Amino acid sequence: MFLTNPILAQLVTEEARLQHQYEFLSYGLTAAWVILAVYVLMMVSRERKLKREIASLRAMLEERK
Amino acid sequence: MRERIVYLLGIAALVILTWNINAIARLPEETQQGVTFKIIFFHVPMWAAAITAACTALLASVAFLVTKNFKYDALAVAVTEVGLAFTTVGLVTGSIWGREIWGIWWTWDARLTSALVCWLLYGGYLMLRKAIEEPTQRATFSAVFSIFAFLDVPIVVFSIKWWRTQHPQPVFWSGGSFPPDWTHHFLWNMVAMVLLGVVMTSVRLRQEEAQREIDSLRRTAHAL
Repeated sequence: MFLTNPILAQLVTEEARLQHQYEFLSYGLTAAWVILAVYVLMMVSRERKLKREIASLRAMLEERK
Repeated sequence: MRERIVYLLGIAALVILTWNINAIARLPEETQQGVTFKIIFFHVPMWAAAITAACTALLASVAFLVTKNFKYDALAVAVTEVGLAFTTVGLVTGSIWGREIWGIWWTWDARLTSALVCWLLYGGYLMLRKAIEEPTQRATFSAVFSIFAFLDVPIVVFSIKWWRTQHPQPVFWSGGSFPPDWTHHFLWNMVAMVLLGVVMTSVRLRQEEAQREIDSLRRTAHAL
């Protein structure tokens, strides 16, 4: 019934277009930050692994001395 | 001291990004592309950071070949890895923008194809490093490969000038312009991304130093 009114129909179309565009904008921004966040998490986990390895090697060298 | 500077740069990048995202959200729609255009505020700065990383990797690789100083090799690998992360973001955000504006996720035009080749080349560089055990040989081969990979970077940058591509022409080189406040936010995002890249590279560089320490501790352990 509302869509028979041309002004209302135009408003509904405009809102649908905006919603669609915001959806893609949010996909883009989410993808950007998720990729960078995953990379940062990978770096954090690598840092921990390296620190553990250094500590264990130092402990081993201390024992051998 | 170095750590404090890195933390400060990281905080500065995050403050700029938070303020800028908030400001970009309040900008009006672009006439033809609507709000989807705002992806460009992140897509282009990510590519700018990736290209800065590629240039740094080239300089570091040349410096390693000339001096044989492993600090340059560490810088090359650190900056290449960070650059690859930014390239991935650039490709993905571009693809999402293309789906909305062109109606397709991907097209094999010169810009997109050369960008994908660039991603594959730098990915190959990191794989090559894992494949070679001996440090000097690994650093030398990687430096040569990095210089070879860089040949693709000017092709990525100038492809839209050299060939007719579906990818849009650059806004600023082609005599176009943004409204002044848009340019302002665009440039601040560039600064933030480059700062973020510097911070990530510094952290990654420290990891390379830790890896070298591990190698030296292992050699000592073998000698005992």
